[in-house]
Amino acid sequence: MNTIAPSKNSPMIALTGVHKSYGNYEVLKGIDAEVARGEVVVICGPSGSGKSTLIRTVNRLEEIGSGSISCDGNNIHQPMPAKELNRLRSRIGFVFQSFNLFPHLSAIDNIAMSPMRVKGLQRDVAYAKATKLLERVGLADKANAFPAQLSGGQQQRVAIARALAMEPPVMLFDEPTSALDPEMVGEVLSVMKGLAADGMTMMCVTHEMGFARDVADRVWFIDQGQIVESARPEDFFSRPQTQRAQRFLSELRH
Amino acid sequence: MISDIIAIIRDYWLLLLIGQYPNGPLGGLAATLLLSILAIAFAFPVSIALALARLSNSPFLNWPVTALVYFTRGVPLLMLILWGYFLVPLVTGANVPSFLTMLVTLVVYQGAFLSEVVRGGIVALGHGQMEASRALGHSYLGAMRYVILPQALYNVIPSIISVFVATIKDTTLGYVINVPDLTFAASQINNQLLTQPFQVFFILAAVYYVICWSLSRVAIVTERRITRKRAGTASQATAKSLKLAALTDQPS
Repeated sequence: MNTIAPSKNSPMIALTGVHKSYGNYEVLKGIDAEVARGEVVVICGPSGSGKSTLIRTVNRLEEIGSGSISCDGNNIHQPMPAKELNRLRSRIGFVFQSFNLFPHLSAIDNIAMSPMRVKGLQRDVAYAKATKLLERVGLADKANAFPAQLSGGQQQRVAIARALAMEPPVMLFDEPTSALDPEMVGEVLSVMKGLAADGMTMMCVTHEMGFARDVADRVWFIDQGQIVESARPEDFFSRPQTQRAQRFLSELRH
Repeated sequence: MISDIIAIIRDYWLLLLIGQYPNGPLGGLAATLLLSILAIAFAFPVSIALALARLSNSPFLNWPVTALVYFTRGVPLLMLILWGYFLVPLVTGANVPSFLTMLVTLVVYQGAFLSEVVRGGIVALGHGQMEASRALGHSYLGAMRYVILPQALYNVIPSIISVFVATIKDTTLGYVINVPDLTFAASQINNQLLTQPFQVFFILAAVYYVICWSLSRVAIVTERRITRKRAGTASQATAKSLKLAALTDQPS
C-alpha cells in the first residue's frame, strides 16, 4: 500500500471507511471520500460534527479506529517507523485555528527553521526561500517581527508561509479564520485564494461560505460523523439535497 | 565586634579560601564553589532527561523516574547524604571520597526537584506547539529541542534559579560527612577560637549571601538578554523586559 506510485489520475487524498471514537462516542462513522489533485475541498457542518477531527486524521494528529487514509499514494495510518511518519507529515501542510507560531522565533525564523532542521536545507537557501514566502503572503517587511508583535491575520499568514516552506503537495486548513477579528479574515482568505489559483490541493474546514462559493471545487457537508452531502458549491448552496444541510444553511443566513 | 570579624578574616583568610590545600584536600570557599558549580552543571541536564522520561509514554522510563522523584521529595537530603556516605562503601567496597558522595547526592536530589520544574514548564506550554512542530515533520525530540524546551526553560527561569540557589546552600550539609568546604573551614575556626561563634558564622553567612545574590543577578541579566533578543525591536524590548523583570525579580 505504501509503495503505490502516485500517478496524475490517482486522488491526492483518499479516505476509506474511516471510523473514530472517543471512548463510547463515535466521532467519525465511516467516511469515504476523495480529493483529486489540485482540487479545493471545503468541509462545513455544525459544531461537533467531526470536521476538525476528520482533517486532523489526514496527517495523523489524530489516530483512527478503522479504515484507511492515503495521501499522495502513502497509507498514513499503517504501522510505520516514527521517522517515516515524520517524513510523510512534512509533506502535508497544516494550518491551525490558533496559528501556533513559535513565539520564541521571529517570523522568518519560524518559516526557515523546519526546512533546515527537518530537511537539512542550507541556512542561506532556507532564508532565501523564507523571504520569498513572506513576500508571497505580503509580509516581507515583518521578517524580523516576533509573533507577539503581529496581528492575528499577520500571524496566520506567517503560519501559512511556514507550512508552505516544507513544499507540501497538499495543504490542510483547520478553521484558519475562526480565531480572527472580522477585518482580518479577508487578508488570510486572499492568501488561500492565491494558493488555490496556483493549483494547490487543499482541504479546508471553514465557516466562510463566501470562500467556499468562490474558491472550492467541492463542498463536503458533515453532520454527526458522516459526509451527508458532497457537491459543487453552486449546487450545495442553491439546491441542498438533505434537510440537515438545508437547516444548516438557513441557520447560517440568520 | 567588627574588629573581631576583621581579625578573624585576617588570620584565617587562607583557610576560608582554600582549606588545608596544598597540605590537604582543596577546601574552603574554593571547594564550596567547585561543588556548587559541578552540582548545578550536572543536575541541570539530568533534570531535563528526568522530565522527558516522566513525560514519556513508556512505563520503563516513566515509572522508575516517577518513583525516584517521589522518593527524593519524601526523604530529607541529610538522610540521602548519610546513606550515600555509609552505604555505598559497604555495598561496593570502594572508598569513595566524601566530596564525590556529596556531589552525586546533590545531583540526584536537586536533579529530581528541578525535573519537576522543567516538566511543569513543558506541560504549561500546552499541546499546540508540539502539534505544530509534529505537523511540520519534526521528530518528538527535535520538537523538544528546537521548539518546546527553549520556551519552557525560559518561562521557568525564576524557579530554576531558586533550585540552583538551594543547591548552593545545600552544599553546607557536606559538613556532616567531612566535605572540607567553607562551612567545614568555619567550624574549624570556631573550634579553635571557641569564644566567637557569632563572628565566625556571620562571615560564613555573608559569603553565602554574596554567592547566592550574585547567581540571582546573573539570572536576571540572562533573562533580560533573552527577552531582548526575542522581543526584536529595541523600544518593544525595553517595555517588555521591564515588565518581565518586575515579574521575576526575586529577593536574593
